[in-house]
Amino acid sequence: MSPVENKSKQTGDIFILKDFKMRKASYSVTRIQRHGYVFILPTLIFFSVFLIYPIISAMKLSFFEWNLLGPKIFVGLKNYKKLIADTRVLNSYWRTLHFTVVSVIAINILAFTFAIMFSSTLVAFKNIWQSFIFLPVILSMVAVGVVWEYMYQTTGLITIIGRKLFGVTIRWLTDTHVAPYAMIIVYVWKTTGYYMVIYIAGLLDIPQSLYEAAKIDGAGFWGQLFYITIPSLVNTISLAVISCMIFTFGQFPIQYVITKGGPSRSTEILALLIFKQAFEFNKYGYGAVISVLFFLTLFFFAVIQLKIFNSSSRQG
Amino acid sequence: MKYIGNPKKVKNIESGLLYTVLIIISFVFIFPFLWMIFSSLKLNKDVLALPIHFFPRVWNWKSYYNVFFKFPDFNFPRYILNSFIVTFFAVLLCLFFSATSGYGFAKYKFRGNNVLFTIILSTIMISFSVIIVPLFILIRKLGMQNSYAGLIIPESLTAFGVFMMRQFFYSIPDDVIESARIDGANEYLIFSFISLPMAKTALLALLIFHAQWVWNLLIWPLIVISTPEMRTLPQGIALFKGGYNTPYPEQLAVSVIACLPLLILYMFLSKYFVQGIAMTGLKG
Repeated sequence: MSPVENKSKQTGDIFILKDFKMRKASYSVTRIQRHGYVFILPTLIFFSVFLIYPIISAMKLSFFEWNLLGPKIFVGLKNYKKLIADTRVLNSYWRTLHFTVVSVIAINILAFTFAIMFSSTLVAFKNIWQSFIFLPVILSMVAVGVVWEYMYQTTGLITIIGRKLFGVTIRWLTDTHVAPYAMIIVYVWKTTGYYMVIYIAGLLDIPQSLYEAAKIDGAGFWGQLFYITIPSLVNTISLAVISCMIFTFGQFPIQYVITKGGPSRSTEILALLIFKQAFEFNKYGYGAVISVLFFLTLFFFAVIQLKIFNSSSRQG
Repeated sequence: MKYIGNPKKVKNIESGLLYTVLIIISFVFIFPFLWMIFSSLKLNKDVLALPIHFFPRVWNWKSYYNVFFKFPDFNFPRYILNSFIVTFFAVLLCLFFSATSGYGFAKYKFRGNNVLFTIILSTIMISFSVIIVPLFILIRKLGMQNSYAGLIIPESLTAFGVFMMRQFFYSIPDDVIESARIDGANEYLIFSFISLPMAKTALLALLIFHAQWVWNLLIWPLIVISTPEMRTLPQGIALFKGGYNTPYPEQLAVSVIACLPLLILYMFLSKYFVQGIAMTGLKG
């Protein structure tokens, strides 16, 4: 609108009529644009009430002691002081980070490898193979937990196979060093297919001409992988890794169904701990503090994500 | 080194190797599900018995009947109904929120568009487990604990959906909308009868994507639901498993049943399943 105004001022009164028309037209255009508010209003209200307000209220609640029935007592930083000294929370925090980091690395490496395998022209019936790997993704997490627990039992399938093949008896669910990995295996098995699909979609977006040019230059499989495929997929990879981290960090059902956090809290991840503190021990304020810790960690991940995106887009 | 053998032979060896690897991997990925099915058909004493048999020695179909009618504390037909009700309405609401706001953000240039969208998008990093405590307190204040509304509303909100629909509506050319405006159609008619039908693919992808999440969600029902008849299916299974002396085949039978609706959905709409994941995870 403003350039038109300036122009009319410069050129004198002849343009007044035209200017008026333009102004009227642009006015009705902004009025149409305001309908956008109506379209986003319901979503805005519901997101504010049920997602954004709870985060703020968690931060507020973390300064109180409350069992939901009695009075709310302001305790200042007491919950936070308790949090820092609480070995149970620290244990849970490290267990969650361990679970997240190992799972995310394993999932993404496997998913990426599978996607590369399926991009090979040597493989026929790709859809069938892919749907096999994808199958666990659509199964119910609780159901998956039920069957894997039986396979991990002392006379369960996996334990017996381990004994027959390698001659060692692994106590999957009772050894505190092994149980966290038992959870990771289930989770990786359940989720890899999902990220494989993301990587396959990413691979399809790389122009074929790049590979043809590379072949002419004599690049082999590894050369193409490191000089074309991975650089072209930087965005896809970082997006997949970060969203995988956020999902994995909030993981709950596998541990709840299979171990309930045992043996001796070796699989007690944060979501499970919050659940127990608040809904089994009625310590809502303390549950909220752990939630805040949880939220800040995810926030940190998100900041890293933004950093990666900015730097990769600057390069590109 | 490169051309020691016949190139064709090298290719054969390569593809032979590739197929061997593929068969092993596929086996690993589908086996636990097959094991779930076959174990659910074994007798209780055979599930963890040695030596291990893949196929049941006695085919015990009764576990599928028993799990529905022989456990007075667990009303599984009701849990399945509850899960269907919650999934249906949560997905419907999710589609409504995502389509309307996605359209608003993509097609209207109002003040604050970018800021508001960024705020909504940033809720992606709020993992559901983070807000369960304050959300429960809120739901309780609103008198929605132990109700369908208490399950449905929080489970219908996903920033992924908003993001996905916004990306999709960006790809619709403005000319179509503009020409409808010139013909005198109002904004809501244009949305309902022109833009929305074009978004069928994206909506279907979102539907499947979100249905999968709601159908399988465990943590929220465990918190909100306090009476047995309101339980959802995953919650019912988790509690059933934790109960004393619950027979193994029955636990596995109900687990198989819990997987069926999504498997059937997947068989018919696998194209959209894959598209949904690719859309939400990729196009940044």
